[in-house]
This record gives sequence, structure tokens and C-alpha cells, in this order.
Amino acid sequence: MTLVEELIRIQPPVVALLLLLGAAAKAADRSGAGGPVRLLPGALQRPASAATALLEAVLGAVLLLTAGTAGTAAGWAAAVLFGGAAVLLAVVRRRDPQMGCGCFGGLSTEPVGWRTIARAAVLAAAASGAAVAGGGGLQVLLGLTGTQAALGAVELGVLVALSPELREAALRVLGREPCALRPVPVRRTLARLHTSDVWRANQVVVEGRGPVDVWRHGCWRLLRFSGHRNGRPVDAVFAVEVRGRRPRVRAAVSDAETGVTLAVLGEVAAEGGAPLPRTQGGAPQATGTVVPTGARVVDGPRVPRARHGGAGKKDPDGRAGEEGADGRPSGANAESGAGPVRPT
Amino acid sequence: MSVDVQERRKFTAALLGDEAAPPPSDPSPQVVRGVALHVTAHMLTVATPKGEERFLFERTTAFWRGRDVGPQEIRVGDDVLVRCGGGGRWVVDRLWAQLGRITGTIVSADGDTVVVDPGHGRPPATAVIPYRSSGRMSVRHPVLEPGYLFDAVGVREGGTVQTTVPATTQPPHPVSRAPRRPPVRRVPRALSGIVSWYDPAYGRAAHTDPRAHAPGAAYPALDPGSDCGPDCDRSDPCLPLPLLSLGATVGVRNDDTGVAGVFPVLNCASAASRFCDRCRDGTGDASGRLAELTLPAFVALGGRPEAGCFAATMEAG
Repeated sequence: MTLVEELIRIQPPVVALLLLLGAAAKAADRSGAGGPVRLLPGALQRPASAATALLEAVLGAVLLLTAGTAGTAAGWAAAVLFGGAAVLLAVVRRRDPQMGCGCFGGLSTEPVGWRTIARAAVLAAAASGAAVAGGGGLQVLLGLTGTQAALGAVELGVLVALSPELREAALRVLGREPCALRPVPVRRTLARLHTSDVWRANQVVVEGRGPVDVWRHGCWRLLRFSGHRNGRPVDAVFAVEVRGRRPRVRAAVSDAETGVTLAVLGEVAAEGGAPLPRTQGGAPQATGTVVPTGARVVDGPRVPRARHGGAGKKDPDGRAGEEGADGRPSGANAESGAGPVRPT
Repeated sequence: MSVDVQERRKFTAALLGDEAAPPPSDPSPQVVRGVALHVTAHMLTVATPKGEERFLFERTTAFWRGRDVGPQEIRVGDDVLVRCGGGGRWVVDRLWAQLGRITGTIVSADGDTVVVDPGHGRPPATAVIPYRSSGRMSVRHPVLEPGYLFDAVGVREGGTVQTTVPATTQPPHPVSRAPRRPPVRRVPRALSGIVSWYDPAYGRAAHTDPRAHAPGAAYPALDPGSDCGPDCDRSDPCLPLPLLSLGATVGVRNDDTGVAGVFPVLNCASAASRFCDRCRDGTGDASGRLAELTLPAFVALGGRPEAGCFAATMEAG
């Protein structure tokens, strides 16, 4: 048997595999990534998508399970399906350049490109081969020779190279999108903040039950609290990274009246707001001075509680503190997840 | 509730570094907006926040009022936007009068009148398509039905905009069937796309309203957790834009002219989040809207408002 004959022989299982995968993906994620069905009127799009998935499943099953006339007919039908898809995808690409092909349901959000169109053309040729072979994909798989396996692997490699969906599937399965794009509830950010050392070290200056302003900057969420420090009103601003269970947290305390930054990450600035230690990128350098030296007990009566203006004990930085009855982070309002700031 | 955008930028810079929140660029002294008080063939008097300012016309000065016109078409009381040439603030290089733009999702259409929802926080706007522009408009906006996008530039007249120039090619599908953005593995530091413009003053009181003069940007990816709250109706933009809030600063460079500036985010660009278009007249290949600049900021970067957009590179977050 020549290589061409071997190649034709393995087409039924290869085409059946692609047809069944396409049908399964369409059935699993019907969010609709687009494709040729988008050329139809709105009311017909969903039924057409379902009918396509059903047709693919039937053709795949016939190519896999039956040989002879039925297998040949299924092969030619698949060739027409893929050939028509290649033409229609070119039309979709011209009409709506941002539309996905919908070949694998919601996984096909990548705009239709030449790779997708080429894949449909390759599959049309493969389906023609499956028609010539007369179906019977399961029998071929059971009697697979080494040459056929190698040829099948090469063909699948070509199809993989022409499939942008694999990258999308890998991104979905292996990792999430970058933190800068990920919506994160304010409630979760507050929870992360309240369990951080930076919060515990600066909690004494914070008053009020929730942040007075919340905003987002890419991978960071910033929360501004009002408070008092050494009898003067201050703004305590915390930056919390929105990724991970123990994210990086930074804090800055600035005088509410003069705007002078008094401390960043617990580092006390010189009189008049002299420059703080910075990295080359301009970000504040972590000094490590924020880690509280006392017991790290979150619950229970021995946790220091903020009492601004009171006569409590003072720590070496001049922060007021007192042994309180309740050391829980002040997040009752914040737990609602509703920041008080809304756009104009 | 209003947001103190300067405070936010200051705190962001204190905690994340100046690179994360660079200070905004100063307003361009060569861009002036105000109300025309007196117009002759050679001179223009404009009421601006600085008082009455006089400008001279050259033979090369271009005038736009729905189309290219002569100085005689500029009327007293017009909202005028002036870009001066020659490095000074005396000679007018280009002048636009009564600029208006309608961008958003069509709510209703009746004959030549189209009502558009501009999205989060902006009132519905009415576009009237004049008969002489209907052919050009229908080529770029073939479906004037609810749910489809609309974006056109024109002349403000009596609370409506006489849309004479389509600013984009309408997507062939309604907003509800827009394709999703493919997932990405990382967000590039500099994003390529297009930048359009909007007018937060709606053409009113251009000589006194600070919104008419503020250089700033509306951003299509405001954080749903803070500024873009329950009332926000923005979509997920087709570009992987980092989530930001009001007060963040974005660096925008016009890829056609090379002029760049840093602008504070002042508003939600809900409508821009739904467009994934290219600039018709631009050189860039990238599609998707990065931001909407206010008119003074857009013109300061060398943009032509009648074109609607320019290809741009943006650094944000």
C-alpha cells in the first residue's frame, strides 16, 4: 500500500474526530462565537447552530461506525460541509473582521483568519479522502499500522497548527487572564487587606468603618481611609494587589490638610515630606518596618484596637494603641462590597 | 458623588510610583475653545475663559461647519474650536464650528431622526441625518434599527446634531451579538488601537463651562467594582484594556502625527467599549477603541474631529 493510500485510509477516523469534537464544543458552549450562522437572520441563528452541531455529530458517528455506502455518503457530505464552511468563513472575514469562526463553539472567539479558512479547506480535502476510503473509522483504528499512526499524527499536527482554539482552551484551562483585566469584588480586596501585616500595622490611624474612596489601577486596588495620627487628620491609603491569596499590600499615610506624605509602608518621612526611598521605577521601596512586633493574634480580646485621640499606649512610631475588647478589622460596611464612591 | 481625581492620582503615584500615574500634560496653548463673538474674513473674536481673544486668519486657514466652508459661514454665537499654527496663539490653522458627535446604540429611528443611547451617565442624544448626507450615511450605517451601533459627526443645532459625516462603519450585527474578546495571556505595556473624541460639555457655554476645556479622557474599561458600578452598562472591550478608575492617567500618542500627551480619566466611555473598529483615515492596522479624548485633548494631539478618530498607542496602568 502506497503512502497516499495509507493517508486516504486513515481519513475516516481523523475527520470523525474533528466532527465529533466540533459538535461537542458547540453543544457544551452555546454562547455563540459567531461563524457562518451569523450571516443568517437573527431568529435563525440559534436553530442553525444547533442543526450544524447535530449534523456534525451524525456525520462523525457514521464515519466512525459504518463502512461502505453510508460511510462514503457521510464522507462526501462532510466534504461539502467543510468546503462550504471555508467559503462562508471568507465571507464572514470580509463582512465582519472581528467575528470568530464558531467552529468549536465559544472556544472560537479569535477573529476569522486565514488559518481558520485553510483548516476548513484541509478538512474538506480530508473528508473527500474519507469518502473515497468508505468510512469505517473504528475498524481502521483497531487495525492501525505504524505508518498510518505516523501519517495521522502529522495530519493532526497540521490541523493543530491551524487551530487558534487550542491556545484559547489552554488559556482557559491552565491559567486565568492577567490580573489587570480581572474584575475583583471590593469585598475580596478588603478581606485580603484586613489579613495583611500592613493593615495591622497602620490600623491604629484608621477611623470609620469603611473606605471613603476605592479605585482600581490595573493589578492594584487602592482604598483610602480617613483617620488621625498624632492628633492630626490624615488619609491612610492602602494599595492591595488583586491577585493571590496573600497579595502585596502597600500603605501611605498623608496629612489630610497639607497633603504631605508622612509615611509609606511604615517608613516615616522627614519633616516637610522629604523624598522617600524609591526603586528605579519610582515605586516605594519596601522597608519591612510595617511588620508588627507584637503578637499576631487576629481574634480575641488582646488585639490592639485603634483609639485615635485617646490616652492609650504609644508605639515607637507614635501610633496610639490600646488593649481593646474587639480586635476585628473594621470592615463591617466594607463587607457589603459597596464602595462609597460613584462616578458623577 | 464626585471623585477627586487629583487626589487619586497623587496617592496612586505615592504607592505605585510616578510611572504608574504620571502627571497630566498641560493644556496646549495652541488649542482654544469658546464662543464666536465677531467674525470677519480676516479675524475672529472668541469669548474664552481668559476673556475676549482675537485670532487672525491666513489664506491657508481651514474652516469646518458640517463640511469645509469659508469664514463667512461661521456665525456669531457658534461654539468654535481653534487650532493655532506657527507655534503661537495668534494665527488660526484650522477652525471647527458647532462640532457635535453622536456615538452609541440606536434606541429608535424614525425617518431621518435617530435617537441614540450613549451609555453610562450620558443622556440620550438625537441625530438628524440631513438629506444631502443621507447617501454617505447609509453606506456606512446601513441598518438604522434599535440595537445597532451609530457613530457620526456633525453640527449641533437646537439640541440635536445634524450628522453629516459617518465616523465609523457600522458593525453588521446588533450590540447583543457582538463577538467576545479572545482571552489573552498578558497585557502589553503599550496598546495599539484608535482614539476617538467626545464632548462632555455638549457644545453648551463653551466659554465658561470647564468641561469644554478640560483635557481628559473617557475610558472604556472602568473598574466594575468602584466607578463603573451597578448603573454601568459598558461591555468588555475588544482590546485587553487594564481596569482603571477615574483619576488614573493614560499616555496617548497619535501614531499619525507622533504627538503624545498624558490625560486623566474623567469619564466612562461605555459606548466606545462596544466598538471594535479601525480608523477610516488612519494609518494604523489595529482595531478597537482605546479611549475617547475630550475635544481640546483630541485636537492638541493633531486629531481632526471631522475624521472622528486617529490611530494611537496608549500606555495605561
